[in-house]
Amino acid sequence: MSSRTTMNVVRLLGVSALIVLMAAALNFIVDPLQLFRPAALFPAVYSQDSRLQNAGLIRSQDFDTLFMGTSLAIHFRQSDINRVLGVKSLKLAMPGSNSHEQGFVLAAGLARGARRVIWEVDDWIFHDAPDIDQNAYLPADLYRGNASGIAGYLLSGAMARESALILARSVPEVEPVVARLSPDELTKFPISRVDDINVLGADTNVPEAYNARLAMAAFAHITNPVRSRYLAEGCDTDAMVRNFERDAVALIAQHPDVQFDIYLPPYSILQWVAMRDASPATLGIVYDFTAYLARRLTAFSNVRLFDFRAVRDVTHDLGNYGDVIHHSPAVDLKVLSWLASGDHTVDRAAPEASLAQLKAQAEAYRVEGVER
Amino acid sequence: MLFNSYPFIFLFLPVALAGYFALGRLGNLAAVIWLALASLAFYSFSNWPFVALLLASIAFNYGIGWLLIERRLRDRTRLAVATVGIAGDLVVLGIFKYGGFLAANLNAVFSIRFTVDILLPVGISFYTFTQIAFLVDAFRGKVARYRLPHYALFVTYFPHLIAGPILHHRDMIPQFESAQAKRPDPHLILCGLIIFAIGLFKKTCLADGIQPMVSLAFGANTPSFDQAWIGALAYTFQLYFDFSGYSDMAIGISLMFGVFLPLNFNSPYQARNIIDFWRRWHMTLSQFLRDYLYVPLGGNRHGRILRYVNLMLTMALGGLWHGAAWTFVIWGVLHGAYLCINHAWNHFGPAVAPRFAPAANGAAFVLTFLSVVVAWVFFRADSLASAMYVLARMADPTQVTFGRVEMLDTGLILIYAAIAWFAPNTQAIMGYDHQNRSVGEALGAWRIRPALLYASAAVLAFGILGIQQHSEFIYFRF
Repeated sequence: MSSRTTMNVVRLLGVSALIVLMAAALNFIVDPLQLFRPAALFPAVYSQDSRLQNAGLIRSQDFDTLFMGTSLAIHFRQSDINRVLGVKSLKLAMPGSNSHEQGFVLAAGLARGARRVIWEVDDWIFHDAPDIDQNAYLPADLYRGNASGIAGYLLSGAMARESALILARSVPEVEPVVARLSPDELTKFPISRVDDINVLGADTNVPEAYNARLAMAAFAHITNPVRSRYLAEGCDTDAMVRNFERDAVALIAQHPDVQFDIYLPPYSILQWVAMRDASPATLGIVYDFTAYLARRLTAFSNVRLFDFRAVRDVTHDLGNYGDVIHHSPAVDLKVLSWLASGDHTVDRAAPEASLAQLKAQAEAYRVEGVER
Repeated sequence: MLFNSYPFIFLFLPVALAGYFALGRLGNLAAVIWLALASLAFYSFSNWPFVALLLASIAFNYGIGWLLIERRLRDRTRLAVATVGIAGDLVVLGIFKYGGFLAANLNAVFSIRFTVDILLPVGISFYTFTQIAFLVDAFRGKVARYRLPHYALFVTYFPHLIAGPILHHRDMIPQFESAQAKRPDPHLILCGLIIFAIGLFKKTCLADGIQPMVSLAFGANTPSFDQAWIGALAYTFQLYFDFSGYSDMAIGISLMFGVFLPLNFNSPYQARNIIDFWRRWHMTLSQFLRDYLYVPLGGNRHGRILRYVNLMLTMALGGLWHGAAWTFVIWGVLHGAYLCINHAWNHFGPAVAPRFAPAANGAAFVLTFLSVVVAWVFFRADSLASAMYVLARMADPTQVTFGRVEMLDTGLILIYAAIAWFAPNTQAIMGYDHQNRSVGEALGAWRIRPALLYASAAVLAFGILGIQQHSEFIYFRF
């Protein structure tokens, strides 16, 4: 009884180990993130989960310029960036990302030899956030390429499922069946071209997704007294300055040979008016913080700071927006053209001039016809 | 350290087991000390700032217990000593767990700015309750003298230290004192492995798998009617598979050491009334609250009205035990109200004719489950306002999305529901009998069918393959 049971223990552990090793081997061979080699045996596939996908992109892609930001920078096409700015870019923007995440991912990209960074910066990314190793959404060890990260990748059952799907889809005879059984919603890697990661789909109706009605609805939503306290959430000057110094300034100072083109994006004027009306203390903190940011960044010779927040033609045309901050693809192209031409560059001698313009615009703007 | 992590599974557990059985050959005490030290190492791995607090708590309670058990004190002095002991435990728990909550409420009432910023020591609720039970029983004269290493192991025993089950000294310490448990028993190790595998699978594949859906109701977006229900149901099943998975893992690990832990879950979502639910959900907490709070308050001994009052008080405090927030208090009060209604219905409600019994049972099952889901909304929400908001969305069928994603999510929810409602639970599969210290008797009779063995191996493998970084158990916060 005892020796038979002991054998059963060994058998159970042995079979488990075998299954785990088979999954690891499958992940290693298919390598959905292209961590170990560029896609050759199987077609390259990509994920919308940029926190995960970026770890693979940084290793597998050829680039000289990094493009970073939040959801405001997520829909840019790499091909547009390359064409307008004459660079070989890698888009690393992550929706809802904070400065810890952005600084960490940029550092990983810079370690692979990038010479230029284009960085869309929102004030709120500098709110306090979990440390990078406590972040449940960003696989920090995978970026580091250490044993823990590689083990987590190879021993992942979810990744093994993706590997099996990629493997099955690579067989022409079964591809249609697999595609039908695993629609895009059920797969992590539904994209076949790197340029298509997180861009608006071809079927997106842009006028329907970006219009004044949506912008006004969002304004009414965030200024509703029930929710307006969220405007102030996490907004603390000391914390923002501390995180800015740690995640942005330190990174810039460590890479004096890298050109940083940093821009403050063109939110709709409603964003500022919302804070003015529903949370004036928050508006004061944001003004003070961005004044500090402008003074600090313009002191670096390897930084060009752009401030698009007071570009009236864009920010006052509410048809450009899907809510109070997210702008349309047409504005994406304008941003690229301004970056190329140097328009709206912050003057090192007067770093707060554009902020003064913004303050005047926000003060003067009147909102009518808000439906709650 | 998490049970669902590579360092625990591939390093800590094998080393702890090997050391335990190797030292078990030298004698009982050496193995107990090893296991206590291993437990402290386990705790200090991610909670090292609180190791001193844990040790101080053990020393304090052991000292108070020694006075109550060993010294022949007069009744008044015994009462004073026991009061000091229990009050000491509650004060420490109060400071670390409720200090911030109290300050926030004082600030709200008196418009002051008093800040208390104290980190919550992981497991403090569990090891405090465990030791309060010990002191109460010592005061009642129901405790024999325990040696310090055995007592320390009883408190720190790593399978239960972080999130239970809440252990009872009379159940555990005799097992630690037993020499038999120090010899490796392949049958217990095999059964422990299988139970651990089931728990790991529940956590990493089921609970973590459904977690993203929870944000449909409790995330930043405005949920529609169907999204709010999907989110609330997803949390209902996430919490069950997370906590029962943890409890299974604890039982399985402990079994490998030859120690039987009490059951914590018995298919709670199959309950047909709330009284039944609380006999099946977090059973060791229910037993603790019954024996050390509800009964001392008077229980049902002073008439129906006082019984309801005692129930409400017990459940409100049980809610507060889970966390220092009004959402937990409301959750507890809600369950207290459910229990009162249930008891009142049992007393005053009409008897059901036999031919209507199946329909009545079905209705009772549905009503119980929905009541539990509604209460979980308070348990999960960040604030009372958020909870009310989610409940309002759940009650507003005019806003429906039900796109492709929602359809897929609903399909997944139904699979989880089927498992929770119809699948046999771990103890049923394994024949785990805590009272009689037996497990897997039927498996032995079958001589472990190969199919069962390979299925268990697959479950263990999938459990390991499902491990994600940073996936804590929900009950670690309590």
